[in-house]
Amino acid sequence: MNTEQPLDRLLKRLPRHATPARDLWPGIEHAIAANGQRVNNRARRGPRHLAMAALVMVAFLYGLTHYIDNPGPGASQTLNGDALVTVLSQQHQAQLTSLLAAVHDTPAVTSDWTQQLDELHDAAQAIKAALAKDPDNRTLLRMLQNVYQQQLTLVERVHAPQWQRI
Amino acid sequence: MESTTAVTKLSALPESVQEKDPLICAAQQGDVQAYRTLYEQYSGRVFALCYRLTADRALAEDATQEVFIQVWQKLANYSHHSRFSTWLHSVTANITISYMRKQKGWWQRMLNIDSSGEAQQLYATHCSSEIDLEALIVQLPERARVVFVLHAIEGYRHQDIARMLGITSGTSKAQFHRARQLLTQWIGGAEHEH
Repeated sequence: MNTEQPLDRLLKRLPRHATPARDLWPGIEHAIAANGQRVNNRARRGPRHLAMAALVMVAFLYGLTHYIDNPGPGASQTLNGDALVTVLSQQHQAQLTSLLAAVHDTPAVTSDWTQQLDELHDAAQAIKAALAKDPDNRTLLRMLQNVYQQQLTLVERVHAPQWQRI
Repeated sequence: MESTTAVTKLSALPESVQEKDPLICAAQQGDVQAYRTLYEQYSGRVFALCYRLTADRALAEDATQEVFIQVWQKLANYSHHSRFSTWLHSVTANITISYMRKQKGWWQRMLNIDSSGEAQQLYATHCSSEIDLEALIVQLPERARVVFVLHAIEGYRHQDIARMLGITSGTSKAQFHRARQLLTQWIGGAEHEH
């Protein structure tokens, strides 16, 4: 007896359409109208916000790279490994929050970017766990810096206007 | 063999590829009334897909609204090179999965290998003489259900499903076979009862 046949028969008869219990159009129409207003506002201010966020990001990462490569004579006294990781993480979080706020109304080009962001976050957590055991490991610090940079670049790229991605 | 089970392939949809649909063009130009007509044409299929993916009518209604709001924003990206329904369903699947991810416990449900007691829930839902496959599909474990809907009903390849769900192609195939096994078992049990 072929037990798969009933399933295939039922699949062929499966209706293509289903009807929602409530009228969904009014909510869609309202959201479209509200979004049109936001898009108009963003067209005036959006690109400038993105550019400023990108500029701050570049300045922060430049300073970070310079610090890790050349900590300076008094640096080890004022900022040891643990404290450095804490400061890096706090500054990165502030930067990421600011960037996410800047792109909040901009549609993303992919739907899974938050998942990718979470995966990078998990990677950063793993590096920080390793740094907790070896706080002055410059290679780990560079890796952490790299992951943070990837997070910022990801957010920026998926929200960049189409003409910027060409 | 499994690809033969895809009964509602998107390619089977009756729609002209070559000609630009004036309704879609009007909606792309910002004509809300034209977009409403498109909504009326396609919302039934979009809602059916959302419901099969989410297994929750209220969530499916919210997801359907989200789809049509986002499609309005993405409409300029539609290039008329593929069928509109194909493009719309691809966007629907991605948006709905993204919407489901935002719901509490998505990752726990998706990553759990098994959910206990899944088979016992079955018989309460279809005691009528006609087996309601829809009701059985929504009782499948979440990961198996999403894979089954995308592959068997929507015609996606396992590689595409793997990319959409962040799983491997092998996992997608395994989940599909698991869904088929469960459905076959449930249908067999129901037929035996009748």
